[in-house]
Amino acid sequence: MAPVKLANVRKSFGAVEIIQGVDVDIVDGEFLVLVGPSGCGKSTLLRMIAGLESISSGEIAIGDRVVNDLEPKFRDIAMVFQNYALYPHMTVERNMGFSLEHRGHSKSEIAERVQWAAQILDLAKLLDRYPRQLSGGQRQRVAMGRAIVRNPQVFLFDEPLSNLDAKLRVVMRAEIKSLHQRLGVTTVYVTHDQVEAMTMADRIVVMNGGKVEQIGTPLELYDRPANRFVAGFIGSPAMNFLPGTITRAGFEAGGVTLPLPGPIAERDGQDAVYGIRPEHLALDGEGLEAEVLLVEPMGSETQVTLRLAGQQMIAVFRERISARPGETIRLRPDVAAAHLFDAASGARLN
Amino acid sequence: MAPATSPTGSDHTGSRRRPFWTMERRDALAGYLFIAPQLIGITIFVLIPLCLVFWFSLHEWNVLAARFTYTGAANYKALLSDPGLGEVFGATAIFSLGLVVLNMSLALLLAVLLSQKLTGITVFRTLFFSPVVVSLVAWTIVWSFLLQKNGGLNAILQVFGLEGSNWLRDPTTAMISVIVVQVFKNVGLNMILFLAALQGVPKELYEAARVDGVSPFKQFRRITVPLISPTILLTSIITIVGSLQVFAQIAVLTQGGPGMSTTVLVYYLYQQAFQFHRFGYGSTLSIVLFVIVAVLTFVQWQMRKRIVFYER
Repeated sequence: MAPVKLANVRKSFGAVEIIQGVDVDIVDGEFLVLVGPSGCGKSTLLRMIAGLESISSGEIAIGDRVVNDLEPKFRDIAMVFQNYALYPHMTVERNMGFSLEHRGHSKSEIAERVQWAAQILDLAKLLDRYPRQLSGGQRQRVAMGRAIVRNPQVFLFDEPLSNLDAKLRVVMRAEIKSLHQRLGVTTVYVTHDQVEAMTMADRIVVMNGGKVEQIGTPLELYDRPANRFVAGFIGSPAMNFLPGTITRAGFEAGGVTLPLPGPIAERDGQDAVYGIRPEHLALDGEGLEAEVLLVEPMGSETQVTLRLAGQQMIAVFRERISARPGETIRLRPDVAAAHLFDAASGARLN
Repeated sequence: MAPATSPTGSDHTGSRRRPFWTMERRDALAGYLFIAPQLIGITIFVLIPLCLVFWFSLHEWNVLAARFTYTGAANYKALLSDPGLGEVFGATAIFSLGLVVLNMSLALLLAVLLSQKLTGITVFRTLFFSPVVVSLVAWTIVWSFLLQKNGGLNAILQVFGLEGSNWLRDPTTAMISVIVVQVFKNVGLNMILFLAALQGVPKELYEAARVDGVSPFKQFRRITVPLISPTILLTSIITIVGSLQVFAQIAVLTQGGPGMSTTVLVYYLYQQAFQFHRFGYGSTLSIVLFVIVAVLTFVQWQMRKRIVFYER
């Protein structure tokens, strides 16, 4: 186990800077998730930590060593790839022991370590099989087994669940999390799935366009997003946004006035965006009028797409809703859970 | 058992006969039509000639004397007492072995070099592949000039103060010269096949190997070679079969000489049939060649379980 420190890390391809000065301190044993939309640079950043991509400037340290110019094999890291990268011509056992063979371990030690990893990951019965004879979930476990036999300082995961079906993804998510809790190895995990990020991370780094938008615990990011991008990216269904103007009477948008979160005296007249999560809209006979567009019953909750103040929004109710498309319902936003963002910069105002 | 009835209850079994052109039969007919051209071609150009050659091998057939006499196994017995045949088999084995080893090693080396992402790499790929599309006879004639005592190769050597051999007339250099000419002619084909195979190896495997601490040489030996093993098997079969059938290069460059040092089986067969007019014996040698090619191909095919990773 070791901490990982990224200090003003940059990466350019020609004139295009795709990582624009990233600073992250990952503490020893932490499970850190890099999340962001496709092309935001999260996988590139992970590959830079692994040593598979060079860095243009800045510093990457693993433990107390700066590893900028070290080959991957000298960084004491293990990586799980998106497509697992299992050697197709080797059995599960050989796949897991391959790295140890090249690091001078004795045959008995390799066998012992492979057996240990196989027990942890429930692969003992599959050791003689080839990757093509395994299911997606089993291949994923072999890829993890290959990583843990090395007992590295840091685990790196590059979207390891993206090739699995939804049900298996949930199972493997729990397995990776419990493996981390058992081994306590510092882990950097890349995903574009914010649900994965929320459920697995100790801390999340939200990236966009090569920059870090916010770093925090999952609930910090959910409850107090630093800007409109993070607010829109974290949470499913996504936060509703209503552009308008801050006035002394409240937030005016599309002919309605919404109650404001916090003091507004100095912001009177400022253009802003009102953010409210779908679950923070409640049915209220005295509330704002909204036209129902679509009702999606999920069983445990009901998701309603509606038009409020001229904007399409989504509301999620725990109770069953009898409204039909075209009908009008009345809603009240939970002011304490509302967010205000600057219309131009997207920065949080409250 | 009650007769089958439709959902409405009416009996259909006796009133409607199954049409002859069922979907299954139509599919089968389409399949046969698709393979028919190939089947007809193989029958006319392979199977019938093969049967005829076997029939001829049982005869003494002299075209000039218009003699076609059934001799049974006499030609096959003559093989055993043919004094030149041992030398012919030796030359054939040396040619095939030399060609296969040199061709495949060079092709793989070139493919590895040309699989790098470098500026202008396509030009080099085209350059190395171009001899494959050049006329075999034209290529060989040019090389026969280059390899003469006072040819281009020796002129280059002379610049460096070296005296070259009479490459095609010296028994020690004739065979290697023929092999090299043939390797340069065809190495581009195997190179392209290897190149395609190399590009099919997922890049993540090399990245995983780098993280695993595997050196570039061991990556090649332990990852690349096993993963391109299907192509290695294919190219080895093509190259071995091709090497056993070499004729034009020998005819143009050395005519089997000096002595019998480059007289390979096909050239010997040609001499027996078309120079000495022993068509029966020539046919017998053809059958021997056919058996050798068939056995070698069969053995290689059987070895695929050891060579090709996904056959295990």
